[in-house]
Amino acid sequence: MSAFDPSLLLTVDWPEIGGATLDTLTMLGVSLLFTIVLGLPLGVLLYISAPGQLRARPRLYAVLSFLVNVLRSLPFVILLIVLIPLTLLLVGTSIGVAGAIVPLVVGAIPFFGRLVENVLREIDRGVIEASQSMGAKLPQIVFKVLLPEAMPGLIGAATVTAVALVGYTAMSGVIGGGGLGDLAIRYGYQRFQTEVMIVTVVLLLVLVQGLQTAGDALVRRCRFG
Amino acid sequence: MIEVRNLSKHFTHEGRRIAALDNVSLQVSAGEIYGIIGRSGAGKSTLIRCLNLLERPDSGTVTLGEQELTALPEAALQQRRQRIGMVFQHFNLLRSRTVAGNVRFPLELAATLSPAQMDARVDELLQLVGLADHKDKRPAQLSGGQKQRVGIARALANHPDLLLCDEATSALDPETTDSILALLADINRQLNLTIVLITHDMRVIRQLCDHVTVMDHGKVVESGQVLDVFLQPQHAVTRSLLAETGFGQGERVDAWRARIGVPLLKLTFVGEPTLSPVLDKVGRETGLRVNLLSGTLSEIRDTPCGQLLVGVVASDVELTALPEIFAREGVRCEVLA
Repeated sequence: MSAFDPSLLLTVDWPEIGGATLDTLTMLGVSLLFTIVLGLPLGVLLYISAPGQLRARPRLYAVLSFLVNVLRSLPFVILLIVLIPLTLLLVGTSIGVAGAIVPLVVGAIPFFGRLVENVLREIDRGVIEASQSMGAKLPQIVFKVLLPEAMPGLIGAATVTAVALVGYTAMSGVIGGGGLGDLAIRYGYQRFQTEVMIVTVVLLLVLVQGLQTAGDALVRRCRFG
Repeated sequence: MIEVRNLSKHFTHEGRRIAALDNVSLQVSAGEIYGIIGRSGAGKSTLIRCLNLLERPDSGTVTLGEQELTALPEAALQQRRQRIGMVFQHFNLLRSRTVAGNVRFPLELAATLSPAQMDARVDELLQLVGLADHKDKRPAQLSGGQKQRVGIARALANHPDLLLCDEATSALDPETTDSILALLADINRQLNLTIVLITHDMRVIRQLCDHVTVMDHGKVVESGQVLDVFLQPQHAVTRSLLAETGFGQGERVDAWRARIGVPLLKLTFVGEPTLSPVLDKVGRETGLRVNLLSGTLSEIRDTPCGQLLVGVVASDVELTALPEIFAREGVRCEVLA
């Protein structure tokens, strides 16, 4: 790469950058929402069904755990392509923002679910035992003990997942997913427009920093005493 | 009140089967404070956890009042547990809730009161344990003793008929321990609440309990009224647990005898005679002069009592006559010639 001329930044198609940023934020927001809504129950299920836990179901746990591992071991780029039929079935298209969301969610759920499981394992067993001694039923333990006690850890897990999702959205450019990653590949890489590459990288960096700062602030606010 | 019959429980540790409870039976009367003591690994922790079935025994039954807990289905057991309070060594408070929120927690689980009634009950309980001013603090802002007061208030929330204390004072310093023991004694008196506690500390038994059961290797080795067990321990394990209290130290007699070569008397005082000059009085009447060797004068749950080992230096009467003379003064005397 030859020396970069800053005046090239003036030639950047800013409206296009703005649209791509919006696409990235949309993909991130929607897929994060679905990931939390679906991944949180998965994490709780993994936690309570594990051997020696509240509702130990060793066989169910083994199956779930295996599926989670399979999905996590597939590189996201492969997942994007493998899931095209499923995406078509669910949202009717496999390209663009809508087409990217299904693989994003499928890729992030096992990741977030496993993080949730680990966060829940950190809860003091004594507290759970105390609630059992008071006659708490399983749903009461989940909603009144596990989730509130784990809240700082859960927010931390959601933050890590959001950052990972930013990376995934960038990759979804491969299947024409749109967003900043798509822009970086089409202009910055394929057309050698270094200025576009730089702008998208800076924007992604700002996004990740912003997410992490917001997550940390939330964790601080709900940390206990 | 509680009837435990033939409870057994085994754990498998590194391929070996270990009996945590070996055919344990015991009975607790309503309104009494019942202490279970033993070294770590004696099985006392497993035993107390079997009383509310946090731990399922392999065999045996636990009956509470008319109800056999071991025969209850899960839902009925959960219902029943709401009225069995439990206090823990490490408090086990919810970090995410305030003091008031922690005490409210069992009320929310039971869901029998309106929110306003719950708040009123919480205030009442915090008053009882002396934490009304700390209502809105988080557990992390409290001292150990304060945390345990929250634990006790929480355990009492649903008007339990039984309170289980699992090493409730073992994580506290001696002064705080005294204040928590005083609170438990208060609650026992005020609410006529049956308390079963486990501990490895004889001081807890001495200050608080009516009845004591000594466990070793998963078995009950001795059981009786605290006063009797302290003054006349039957089992070696009991004596060794009593060592630091100065009570029941029979095995040292031989050592003393070898050292001073005179007949020994073991004098046991309970109640009133502990506070009167019995030795002096008997000495004037019989010319008995003694050499104080070892012993202790103390209180066992508000009853003054003591046990002294003395060497007889001189006596105008036969040693065999002494037990009767001391008995007239209300003191038990054993001649260890």
